Amino acid sequence: MSLGHFGGWLLLCSLSLGVQAAADIPKLAPATGSAGINHQYDGPWEYFVGGGIATFDCNHDRKPDVFLAGGKHPAQLFINRSETGAALRFQPQSLNLSARDLTKVLGAYPLDMDNDGRLDLVLLRVGRNILLRGEKDCQFTKVNKAWQFDGGKAWTTAFSATFEAESMFPTLAFGNYVDRSAPGSPWGTCADNALLRPLTSGAAADSAVPVSRALPNYSEPMALTPGHCALSMLFTDWNKTGEAALRISNDRHYYRGGEEQLWHVPPGRPPRRYTRYEGWERVMIWGMGIAEGDLNGDGYPEYVLTSMGDTRIQILDDEAEEDRPVYRDIALERGATAHRPYTGDDLRPSTGWHAEFADFNNDARLDLYIAKGNVESMPDFTAFDPDNLLLGQFDQRFKEAGLAAGIALDRRGRGAAVADFNSDGLLDLIVVNRAAPVSVFRNRGALTDWGVRPMGNWLQLEVRQPGHNHFALGATIAIKTGNLTQIRKIQVGGGHASGHMGFVHIGLGVAERAQVRIQWPDGSWSAPYRLFANQFALIEKGSDRVRYWYPEAAD
Amino acid sequence: MRARQRGAGLLGSVYLLFLPGVVTAAAAEAVPLSWVAPTTIAQSSAVSHPAPPSSSQTTITAATPTHGASHTTSTHTPQAVSERPPWAEQAVRRPAELSMWQGSLSAEQLKLLTQYGEQLFTARFTTADGVGRPMATQAIIPTRRKRPSKTSFFRTAGLDANACSSCHHQPVIGGAGDFAANVFVSEGFNHADFDSLDPQFSNERNTNHLFGAGLIELLAREMSADLQAIRAATLRAARAQQQPITAALITKGVRFGDITAHSDGVLDLTQIEGVDSDLIIRPFSQKGVMTSLRQFSINALNHHHGMQASERFGARWTGEADFDEDEIADELSAADISALVAWQATLRPPQRKQPEHKGWQQAALRGERLFSRSGCAVCHQPALPLNSLKFADPGRWDMAGTLRTQEVSAVTHYDLALLEWSETLPRNAQGAVMVPLFGDLKRHKIADSEVSAFSNELLSQRFVARDVFMTAELWGIASTAPYGHRGDMTTLDEVIQAHGGAGRAARDAYLKLDEAARLDVVAFLKTLVLE
Repeated sequence: MSLGHFGGWLLLCSLSLGVQAAADIPKLAPATGSAGINHQYDGPWEYFVGGGIATFDCNHDRKPDVFLAGGKHPAQLFINRSETGAALRFQPQSLNLSARDLTKVLGAYPLDMDNDGRLDLVLLRVGRNILLRGEKDCQFTKVNKAWQFDGGKAWTTAFSATFEAESMFPTLAFGNYVDRSAPGSPWGTCADNALLRPLTSGAAADSAVPVSRALPNYSEPMALTPGHCALSMLFTDWNKTGEAALRISNDRHYYRGGEEQLWHVPPGRPPRRYTRYEGWERVMIWGMGIAEGDLNGDGYPEYVLTSMGDTRIQILDDEAEEDRPVYRDIALERGATAHRPYTGDDLRPSTGWHAEFADFNNDARLDLYIAKGNVESMPDFTAFDPDNLLLGQFDQRFKEAGLAAGIALDRRGRGAAVADFNSDGLLDLIVVNRAAPVSVFRNRGALTDWGVRPMGNWLQLEVRQPGHNHFALGATIAIKTGNLTQIRKIQVGGGHASGHMGFVHIGLGVAERAQVRIQWPDGSWSAPYRLFANQFALIEKGSDRVRYWYPEAAD
Repeated sequence: MRARQRGAGLLGSVYLLFLPGVVTAAAAEAVPLSWVAPTTIAQSSAVSHPAPPSSSQTTITAATPTHGASHTTSTHTPQAVSERPPWAEQAVRRPAELSMWQGSLSAEQLKLLTQYGEQLFTARFTTADGVGRPMATQAIIPTRRKRPSKTSFFRTAGLDANACSSCHHQPVIGGAGDFAANVFVSEGFNHADFDSLDPQFSNERNTNHLFGAGLIELLAREMSADLQAIRAATLRAARAQQQPITAALITKGVRFGDITAHSDGVLDLTQIEGVDSDLIIRPFSQKGVMTSLRQFSINALNHHHGMQASERFGARWTGEADFDEDEIADELSAADISALVAWQATLRPPQRKQPEHKGWQQAALRGERLFSRSGCAVCHQPALPLNSLKFADPGRWDMAGTLRTQEVSAVTHYDLALLEWSETLPRNAQGAVMVPLFGDLKRHKIADSEVSAFSNELLSQRFVARDVFMTAELWGIASTAPYGHRGDMTTLDEVIQAHGGAGRAARDAYLKLDEAARLDVVAFLKTLVLE
């Protein structure tokens, strides 16, 4: 008989439970060297902005692959070879595209534009934008001509897409920065933005042509005037009417008389700006990134706007009505202004770029990631500008955990992707940095005194509908655990030049099951799906059965 | 005064159990107290030298204020028993230095742990311990009330008992309860304060006995592992062969339907039966929806007593050490829960009684054959094989909110073979223990349009339909009347006749027997006793 050790795990977990009053801090372990992504975003002045990343599954293995903008360097695609629950690994994939088309890329967004069930790519460039049709085996074909997409010659820095009512193809919005050819450029010479509605002529309108064979036609762009040097844009259903409006975040550094914008985009009618008379108040910031998240589960999205200095979080004000978008800023009361570095001695204001709400610690509270980094060497702004990981607390405030989590690097962050790359239920992070290697972080679980431990329960959902808009852009997912309802939207746009399409991740905290309902893009609600936690569930419109996906088990 | 938390107070000093009437300081002396400090945590250096019990008072430290503690009522953590006079109002006689062992426990260690577990199981908890949840509901997910409940104790919505043993006591502590001890199960999210027996607000449930619960949990764990291994193998085969593969989910002879795996890793679970879609067997509660004794204990302590376990209701998952705002922080530690689990897990299994009455002996033998021949044993399987008697705490299948194996530096194991009763368990040719539970740990629809007595509820529970229940384990049934999930059937004949749905054929076969034969079946069931 041997007596065991005194103390042991219960002592230890009591300690952890007692001392740690706040939510779990995820350990985001650096994996840049080992992940196999050797890539930099760089270039002259035009590439001080941009630096996007698109994450999406191009080889139908349900693991997110990675497309990275390179600026003066060619953009690159990396195939996700990570094993389940193991180290992040990626493999470069050569593309049958001209080097010319792959350079001058600032950002990229994945979406299925031709309804073939494969994700296509929109490349934002300095000069002509490019549409790439997704093909087999992670290859792409340039389809500017086939889809009658001119691509323009602007300096494109923002993008969003939506399926307008009855439309078979997505409507695309491109945000452009400074018009470099205008007199006096760059000051006060913001370029117009563009709205591209698919034409409903020819094959597209012919119901005899199967959806999969019809082609989009983007031959008639519409100017969104005035442009105010957009750096991020997002189609969003701010008032729950089912009709997306277009929010545009603009850089006050270059505009004169500009402001943040919200556009009505009524189907079949010309877009127009929301005005002061409608309650839209003038907000002037160095707008660099937008993300939406429903912090209070009321179905009305809150928005984070990154800038130089204070980050904004906007919530509908009490004075708001269905047609009156009156917002107030709650970043201060939520502890999320993130206006200067949280570590180091440099107290100058920081510069925010990509923003994303996500649940990094699976506690059923949204966290906020913000990529930070000096534009280049602006003297009034901090040079050391670590990215933020603002963890949503149980009192609705946010608490900075970037340093403890391990992401406080001396890098000029730009775009980013938050996704579960190794299918372990934990959100990982890839950050595109200007003039420095891409940063890759693997989420290892909650930090403790003695290592890491698992965090809360989670669910990941793949949502599809038959016919066009296969990926259900515009769908709302309501996830109910107990009295808590969390909302997720399926959107394309926002962030900073970066988009993600894949499993929708939801942290469930201590709930071991959830009831999920989906409001499909046509406005109809699904019956409730009853799901157990820690699984990947596949939901298809019209079917009350859920299928499940299991990542390949690591042997 | 800020909440004082137990955390750092656990460091150092000698482990002494002060269990009045059970273990005294003198008893503790009988155990070699050669404790060594845990080596896995940085602070362990602080505990490398055993200190006298009194030192624990000085090591209890003020807690950091909890982020998000919007309610600033003063709270305090229950004191260790060494700090209290013998006449203190607390019912929890927590050892002066509560902690636990890593790795395998010796018989003596297990005994000490279970003795404290029994003390907790029988303790009539008081407000000084943390009874009450004025601002929390009975829900298993920490759920705050909008306003304080008007009553602290309330027979329907709870608090509805003073001790675990208030209900679990027939015929002995750990046993079942009669109709008077029924509880009213509601999710606790809506209508948390229901003051009605109206079944639209709650399901009324009779108290189950807990004897043999450790064996049940071990069986369920092995079955979950089997099912998940089948799932993994099926997915692997479908991927390798690039075609759909269908496999039967069979573990320990019980079939839980089929799964079909596709070559892309997609799994069709629409043909599974009697188990949740994550293929985890949840063997506890009449409904079969609780994974472990640990999970169930945490749920029940909150529901029935307002005693909240930190591992679910503490700061990590709620932001607050006193989530229920009863001014007691961290009411039950992980170690407390482990002690409760250990006591339940080590309860001896019910027995087969050999009646002295010769006629009963013969009737029981005939009845057992009829029980099998009528088809009762299809679901009420006389025994299921168990490969290992080693009980790990925490267990493998719990989810966040119930302590998980990866949340501790080393799991505690105790071998149920250390217990005397384990020697009485039969083994099969392969050496597996044949656990005589008379059950299959599977859920079945147990009502149909003609025989619908068991379809008498309005609410599904944890995604399980109203007329679906886990096969009741029949061991101990002779000592645990009344019967049925509501405890409203007083004879075995009545409850057999109430079986519809999956039990219909067996019930019909039973009814076709003549009266004497039916009595033989009863005679057999009456030998399954708790003693």
